[in-house]
Amino acid sequence: MEIPYIFTPRKDTGMVNSKIAIWLFLASEVMLFGGFFSSYVYLRLGADYPWPERALPVLPGLINTFVLIASSVTVVFAWAGLKLRKWRMFQVNMSITIFCAAIFMVLKGIEYNVKFHHQAVRLDDYTILEGHLNYDKNTLDANGKEVGEDVIRVQAEKLTFSTMRYHAAWVEEILRQATEKGSKITLAEDVLIEGQSVTKGTELSVALLKRVCKNHLDSRGNNASVRTDALRDEWTTAKAKAENAGKRGWEIAPTIEINAEKIAPLLKKETSSLAFVVNPPLQLWFPHRDIKEGDAQSRLRDDTVIDGKLLDSPVNIHNLDAIDFRHLVMKAEEKGLDPIVAIENSWLIKNSEEAKAAWNWNKEQTAKLEKELLDNYGVDEKGVAKRVPTETERYRIGWKDFISKANGVDKGDAEIVISEEFFGPNYKLREAKHTFPHLKIPRKEVFLSGKFTPAWNTYYAIYFTMTFLHGLHVIGGAVVLGYYLFRGKKMYQSNPEWLANRVEVGGLFWHFVDLVWIFLFPILYLM
Amino acid sequence: MADSPELIKKSIKTYTLIGLVLFIFTGVTVAVATVPALDIGVHGFDAWDMILGLAIASFKATLVGYIFMHLNHEKKAIYWIFFGAIVFFAFMIILFMSAESDLIHYNGFRFGLPY
Repeated sequence: MEIPYIFTPRKDTGMVNSKIAIWLFLASEVMLFGGFFSSYVYLRLGADYPWPERALPVLPGLINTFVLIASSVTVVFAWAGLKLRKWRMFQVNMSITIFCAAIFMVLKGIEYNVKFHHQAVRLDDYTILEGHLNYDKNTLDANGKEVGEDVIRVQAEKLTFSTMRYHAAWVEEILRQATEKGSKITLAEDVLIEGQSVTKGTELSVALLKRVCKNHLDSRGNNASVRTDALRDEWTTAKAKAENAGKRGWEIAPTIEINAEKIAPLLKKETSSLAFVVNPPLQLWFPHRDIKEGDAQSRLRDDTVIDGKLLDSPVNIHNLDAIDFRHLVMKAEEKGLDPIVAIENSWLIKNSEEAKAAWNWNKEQTAKLEKELLDNYGVDEKGVAKRVPTETERYRIGWKDFISKANGVDKGDAEIVISEEFFGPNYKLREAKHTFPHLKIPRKEVFLSGKFTPAWNTYYAIYFTMTFLHGLHVIGGAVVLGYYLFRGKKMYQSNPEWLANRVEVGGLFWHFVDLVWIFLFPILYLM
Repeated sequence: MADSPELIKKSIKTYTLIGLVLFIFTGVTVAVATVPALDIGVHGFDAWDMILGLAIASFKATLVGYIFMHLNHEKKAIYWIFFGAIVFFAFMIILFMSAESDLIHYNGFRFGLPY
């Protein structure tokens, strides 16, 4: 079948069909991205923490903007090539376009990767610390992934598993750690499974938990139907009917009492949890996200209760590359406290000499900047300085500031190696000058810790959502344009106008992707 | 539609020029956001920087739309489709912003604007 209106315009619209189609699609895309831009506005206006203004390194974003604009130019050149019937011109320009798409995605990948490996910790007093965990290669989690020095250690004496919710991978992980350290985990009491007794002292295994779980579910099912039957019997008696004349079953149900003694022999024992003793007591560790720790008792996310002492489980930040007091200051101001006093009373300043030195250095730098701004811009008619340092300048000590401090230059004057703009500070290079401190944070001071992923805060959530969606569009566009480049010759030979129309439509999509980035770049990187 | 080879050749020049303008204005956006001497409004990021940044972005987007996407000489139906969507989008943004901001107890400090 021949597809109509692929190179001759349709009479009623005056256009080829694909063009109307792409514009309808782009209109729907406006609404899709519009939804996310609105979410951005909503999240930013409603943020209950200092929004990370201008937090991302600008250079990769700027290069990506140039790359996308360049590709937008080459894609119209490719189209013009087809219109001029110059196949070579089309090929060259389309190849550049696709190459630009590849560069864009590689840079995006680098940016993502840096964030996924950058650690952040929020202390109880709202100080935020950024840096890296020194990976201990021998420390792997249940999935075989590396766990940094951000684990919680407990001295387990007794483990109580939830028979319905236990997570088999974690049970196996506990068993692995027990075998490694020569501990035995055995059943604390006899338990009846399917009429058979499993004696105290039986070793923990996933198979055992599975059997107990099945038995528990069967018992629950049995007990529920026994109770339902008993209830039904009760409320269909003449007495119940006489007392509740005209009422429906569900209305009288709460007042009906069943004879517990009568049904007792029919009920089966439910085993909702199963306790095990650990002998000798075992040092277990878990990634912090999987456990809610307590001094004497901790609980895993699968409701496994671990009785035993909480051991020293600090977060070891190596190469601390940013100290951020803005959230702390915001909280202090909400309470009407002096921010400087609040900072100087914070755990960090009291417990780390290096952090204190960095803070004092930053204070001097802010004072210098304040004076400079006053000298340059003066005061207004009320005698208030026209320009003052920003909150970020006052209360955040970023990695570039640490480098400035170590090199003995003013804030912002540090010489940054180009690669650092992409990958973050080069710790090896900076090691000689002890640029970045190392810090051990006791677990009780840690409120939240994690990488710079969508889970860290709403800024990163919307950043990743929007840029990822945009990235998918770049990939999709490149695939379509690539198809025209590598498979379009046939179309071109049959009718050049056919391919020209297709490339125009593909190009329209590509320009739209560029257009979205034109807005994403300033709002995510510069504002 | 610019279909004749002469017109296409002419528009290639326009595309190059527009490409250059877009490059320059990208540089300008970054410069006004990072170079202290070009900072408008109060020191650091504030509402004026936001307005300027978005104005430049809108200007760039308009160029892309008008020249690269040929909206400067397009059929009527397409204007209805695309600008219809833009109007809905604008309406949505306004709804969000008016839901969040309380104009009576407006905290101007949040945007760095004077009360």
